Amino acid sequence: MKRAAVPLAVLAIIALLLAPLRLNGYAINLLYVTVLSIALAYGWNIISGYAGYFSFGQIAFFGVGAYATALIVVNLHWYWMAAALAGGVLALALAIPLGYVMLRLRGPFFAMGMFGMAQMVRVLVTAVPATGSGSGLFLPPGSGITEVYYWTLAICLGAIALTVWIDRSAFGLRLQALREDEQVAATLGVETTRAKITAFGLSALIPGLLGGGYALFLTYIEPDAVFSSRLDLQSIVMAILGGLGTVWGPLIGGLVMTQISEALWARFPQIYLMIFGGLLVVLLIALPRGIVPALAARFARRSGA
Amino acid sequence: MPQMRKRRRVVLQAWHMSAPLLVVEDVSLAFGGVQALNGVSLEVREGEIFALIGPNGAGKTTLFNVISGVLRPDGGDVRFAGRSILGWAPHRIARAGVARTYQIVRPFGRLSVVDNVAVGALVHARTIGQARNDARDVVGFVGLGAYADRPASSLTLTQRKRLEVARALALRPKLLLLDEVMAGLTPTEMDGMAEFVQHLSERGIAAIAGIEHVMRLVMRISHRIVVLDAGRRIAEGDPAAIQTDPAVIEAYLGAPLAGAG
Repeated sequence: MKRAAVPLAVLAIIALLLAPLRLNGYAINLLYVTVLSIALAYGWNIISGYAGYFSFGQIAFFGVGAYATALIVVNLHWYWMAAALAGGVLALALAIPLGYVMLRLRGPFFAMGMFGMAQMVRVLVTAVPATGSGSGLFLPPGSGITEVYYWTLAICLGAIALTVWIDRSAFGLRLQALREDEQVAATLGVETTRAKITAFGLSALIPGLLGGGYALFLTYIEPDAVFSSRLDLQSIVMAILGGLGTVWGPLIGGLVMTQISEALWARFPQIYLMIFGGLLVVLLIALPRGIVPALAARFARRSGA
Repeated sequence: MPQMRKRRRVVLQAWHMSAPLLVVEDVSLAFGGVQALNGVSLEVREGEIFALIGPNGAGKTTLFNVISGVLRPDGGDVRFAGRSILGWAPHRIARAGVARTYQIVRPFGRLSVVDNVAVGALVHARTIGQARNDARDVVGFVGLGAYADRPASSLTLTQRKRLEVARALALRPKLLLLDEVMAGLTPTEMDGMAEFVQHLSERGIAAIAGIEHVMRLVMRISHRIVVLDAGRRIAEGDPAAIQTDPAVIEAYLGAPLAGAG
């Protein structure tokens, strides 16, 4: 298992790097959206999976990244990737004070609080005249889907590498301890506020970096498109289906979801969402902790027997 | 037994000479209209076994919460190793050398036994590998070696109690707060736990054991005892003095303490 993993991963990465050379427009768009959702799921998995703080508002940082990139490209004429990087840094800078306030809330209060926070950020962004208010903003054409795809793929791979590191690090152990019982973690010497804010910052940086690419992909952005609750929910479901707080959960969950969604969409275009929703419910009932923990338990049982 | 008396005498001699490790001074805390702690004071010396006894609701757990920084008292002071730790965050108090267990065991269920303990060991370890190695030693020390890699949620109650102690020990504390660490154990297991606490005391680790019942053990191993009732300190002294204290006897409904365990 373990020995096969490395060459398999290298092959997968090579295939992903070469994909734009062979794929047609529809396929490359689909691949881009898949990689984007998986990367968003990895971002969400740090604060919500590892630290246990369920957020329904991380998409705010995606929107901030998208708008920051658009404004910088339109007004300062930076190369878009530099602008997208600035968008990510801005999201991170916003997340630190926000996290300091929001992470005092726990459980459903944090979840709802983040939802409200995302709406607030969205209203604030559209209140600025430079963003074209509610009517949106056009980006100069010129950067193709290929560039956006590579940018997003790089961030997705970076997010996976970051998660692998977290899962093995002292930082990750502290996050998991505070997820299980925050007070006990604190009385065992864990500086919980610092650990939570760091996790929250990383979970803002990743969507912040991805937002710029999405703005370029759309070429025209408006609040509903980038503060997208559909993208937000989709990435959350991917992480949960794959397995919260696991290294491979967001990837496996993301692949399973997009495959099922595409297959259903092609065959039952009218009712695919209904079937998809039903299927999700069944999957989550059958595998309450997600696909990866269920597989891990099965392997452990087999090797133990 | 004679050996133990001798040890007690040595510790008592040291008590008069050394500076106190922990000083709780006139601590009060009310929850709404309930005065959970009412001007409680006590002093604990290095290596001392200190019993905090009292009926359910006397304020033992509240006092532990105050000392470990989980709750902030309305008045009074808490000093550890000569410095006031009032208002310190719990993680800072833990790192300074005060470790605690919880009355209702609270393992990190989805983490392995070793990782539960490694969280505390991280305070001293440079790397996570080192923390896990240290944790494995402590896990073996409390007799959970065979369960080291299992999830903590698979442990029995007795094992969970030991895990609580192991996690606290991994901090290498100078003072251990044991909240009802005997509750739910069989008599044999209680003896084992008592021996364990004595062993720690010999290594210089002081312990405050909050205990509701099991007076037999309290009388045998404690160097000093404070009795709490409804948030007030009603008696303090060595085991012999406590057993004959009229206020204590009254708080325990007239039952002579020696027979209550």
